[in-house]
Amino acid sequence: MAMKSKTDEELIGLIVQKHRPALEELYDRYAKLIYSFSYKIAKGDTDKTKEIVQHVFLRLWTTKSTYNPAKGQLANWLLTITRNIAIDLIRKEQKHNGTIPLELDDMLHIQGQQSEDVLQQVSRNLLKQQIQEAKRHLSEPQQRLINLLYWEGYSLSEIAEIEKKPLGTIKSRLHQTLKKLRNYFNEETGGVRHGK
Amino acid sequence: MENKCENLSLYMINELTALEKEEFERHLKTCTHCQHELESLQGLWQTLSYEVEEVDVPETLKADVMNFIFEENEAPQQEQKVKPTKKGFIDLIKLNFKKHFSPLSTAVAVVLVIGLVGLFWNNLQLKETITVLETKEADPSQIVSTHILKGQGLAASANGNAYLIQEGSTTNLVIELNNMPRTKDEEVYQVWLLKNGTRQNAGTLKPDQNGNGLITYRLPQSLSFDAIGITLELNPNNTQPQGQKVMGTS
Ligand SMILES: [Zn+2]
Repeated sequence: MAMKSKTDEELIGLIVQKHRPALEELYDRYAKLIYSFSYKIAKGDTDKTKEIVQHVFLRLWTTKSTYNPAKGQLANWLLTITRNIAIDLIRKEQKHNGTIPLELDDMLHIQGQQSEDVLQQVSRNLLKQQIQEAKRHLSEPQQRLINLLYWEGYSLSEIAEIEKKPLGTIKSRLHQTLKKLRNYFNEETGGVRHGK
Repeated sequence: MENKCENLSLYMINELTALEKEEFERHLKTCTHCQHELESLQGLWQTLSYEVEEVDVPETLKADVMNFIFEENEAPQQEQKVKPTKKGFIDLIKLNFKKHFSPLSTAVAVVLVIGLVGLFWNNLQLKETITVLETKEADPSQIVSTHILKGQGLAASANGNAYLIQEGSTTNLVIELNNMPRTKDEEVYQVWLLKNGTRQNAGTLKPDQNGNGLITYRLPQSLSFDAIGITLELNPNNTQPQGQKVMGTS
């Protein structure tokens, strides 16, 4: 009960102080998000998914950073850690260490307390729809690029090999793909206002 | 925009060599174009992670995770008091999203993020919404309509947006308000749905210290409305508006 009333920020603070109930509470709040995300990266392999989740929470538990809310929200931060760990675990052989250095200090905190509610589900659905809609605006090779890069963790030179294209082509494809997606989010979602 | 700017996407996905990275970081300090681009692309990059199907978590997983940490990787236990810093949450969300998305999607993003972090907003309506809406297989949700709210009277500088969000057979009204004057003591802002001259209470809220507020309301199946009005009430339990109107749809 006491933990339930803590904000995420307070929980992180307690975790840094090695307070186990805080970690358990954070698990209760975010396990579904982290598990679902890991499951996708592990392509439905439940053993690997479990391994990823274990390492994510171990990382949280062993973090040395003192908490200082600055940038980035907790869910995003957790997903970034999860993605790094998942890609490291699944594609250990190809990956270099410390893909994206992240510190607790880089995290912006949202004053929130409750984990699974329905708004959350509504929001995720809405966001998922938007991403899928945005992806429909990409060409086939652009979609493949995002999947290989984001979800499978291949490097650009590996992708160049897979696609049998020069690295330069893949680099400019990346540039265009990101811009296209970003512009979609800027323009199309803004257009809802007029679309009624 | 110069040549160095081209390395931005590669920098974001960490594909630069140590030397290139160092160079780009030097460039980044002086190039506002890249600073904005980077922020916006990082926002996009993180957004991609939400393209995930929700999966049921096995019940044994929690024990597996905790055992993994506390039995295989023991760490010393100690406890101290922690002092959290409080911040206006809507502000922080906006900080995160405003630069990346257009105004409407900022508001939508606020709603999204609030959902994502599972904000516990201190109003009864949200609690009701949560209990009523706990359906497992949710239909895709969509914004049915949006309404612009304008301030008047003592809240003349306030503004806001209301969204009707449909999920399956359920409709939720989400209202986001900005620049609301602070309320004193028992005072609350109360939302009313107007239909043919009758008013339905759709909840109350108190803005945060920055004048921002958010309220969600699950629309009963039979209820529709022509307009939204917001009054300042001295008593949070009024069934009919007694205070003055401070906001409304035009
Ligand atoms: Zn630049």
